[in-house]
Amino acid sequence: MRTAIYSWLAMAGFLHAAALTFEKELLVIDAPADASSIVADFSFENKTGKPVTIAKVDKTCACIDAQVSDGKLVYAPGEKGQIRATFDMKNFAGVVNKTVALYLDDDPPNQPSVTLTVEVHIPVLVVLKEKTLKWSVGAKPETQTIDITMDYAKPIKIVSNSCTSDNFKVEVKTLEEGKHYELQVTPSETKDPGLAIIRIETDCDVKRHQILQAFAVIRRDLPPLP
Amino acid sequence: MNIVAQTAVVLTLALAAAGTTYWVKGPPERGVRCDAVKLKSDEVCLERVMGEWQGRVLWVDARPRGDWQRNGMAGAALWNLDTDENMQTFEAEVMLRMQDGLRVVVYCNNENCGTSRQVAERIKALQSGNEVFVLYGGWRALAAAKLTKDFK
Repeated sequence: MRTAIYSWLAMAGFLHAAALTFEKELLVIDAPADASSIVADFSFENKTGKPVTIAKVDKTCACIDAQVSDGKLVYAPGEKGQIRATFDMKNFAGVVNKTVALYLDDDPPNQPSVTLTVEVHIPVLVVLKEKTLKWSVGAKPETQTIDITMDYAKPIKIVSNSCTSDNFKVEVKTLEEGKHYELQVTPSETKDPGLAIIRIETDCDVKRHQILQAFAVIRRDLPPLP
Repeated sequence: MNIVAQTAVVLTLALAAAGTTYWVKGPPERGVRCDAVKLKSDEVCLERVMGEWQGRVLWVDARPRGDWQRNGMAGAALWNLDTDENMQTFEAEVMLRMQDGLRVVVYCNNENCGTSRQVAERIKALQSGNEVFVLYGGWRALAAAKLTKDFK
């Protein structure tokens, strides 16, 4: 009886000791403004006394791809490897954290042995200080402005703008060519609720900063929610 | 006692313990236990959404498009971060649907996925004035409560 219990306890301890040791579990990367994707390499070593098998590398977003070096999944004691995470930045700007979960062969579901994080700093080249301009129904149709600054080595110009509603007049005022602009938005009347989408086109050579969007809203003052 | 007998004894004891636990405590909890005290400031429990707020919220599904179509909440808007999607279309759709001032509740797959928080941050950045929350437990909580489309 004692043999069975000791064997079971020894096996349980052995299983839970299995792990890979990573040099870093968080990588912080400053992405170039014009990059469309970045690569983060997480290096690891099997510092245990038995082989370790990678069962699954789980991505938390379709925007990230993760591959184990050479597709190798079993690592002998002392053996080193790498997990490469490739992050597609198309839909992102600013500071973005993306994770990759690494499951070893004895990990329970939803409890990965290691969670690797890549923190990417993506420059925001065109900064809209206000995203939505608001008027109350019946308010005076005064002009409101959206402050737009360009934060890039090269000048970025606003080349055009459009608005989905005839009720709003949109004008671009240049404060410093290629650097600083003001979008002036004026409703012709505010008697009915409405929403307009304002699109601003720039000549920025980085695609994700070429079309920007802002909103103009006329809405009723709402009663408090339950 | 030989090894077969020893194994049989261990298994019998384990089975008896499991049976007793089931008898005393009932079947395992498959729903999502949400403790309002332990929530992060931007999170909300499903019980509060369906009780105090009577379910009158704008649901935003932060999962992939296929999941949203198959088993999302009825009437939920889609806003995920997949590279094939157009963020400006999501912005415009959600902005339009926030005009009646409803609270916005974003969910992704479960309590561990971070996409719903990132989408909630993007909705807040629209500066519409609506309150925006992340659903604790995500879709798993909705499914456990049988609120998703595939249960209707």
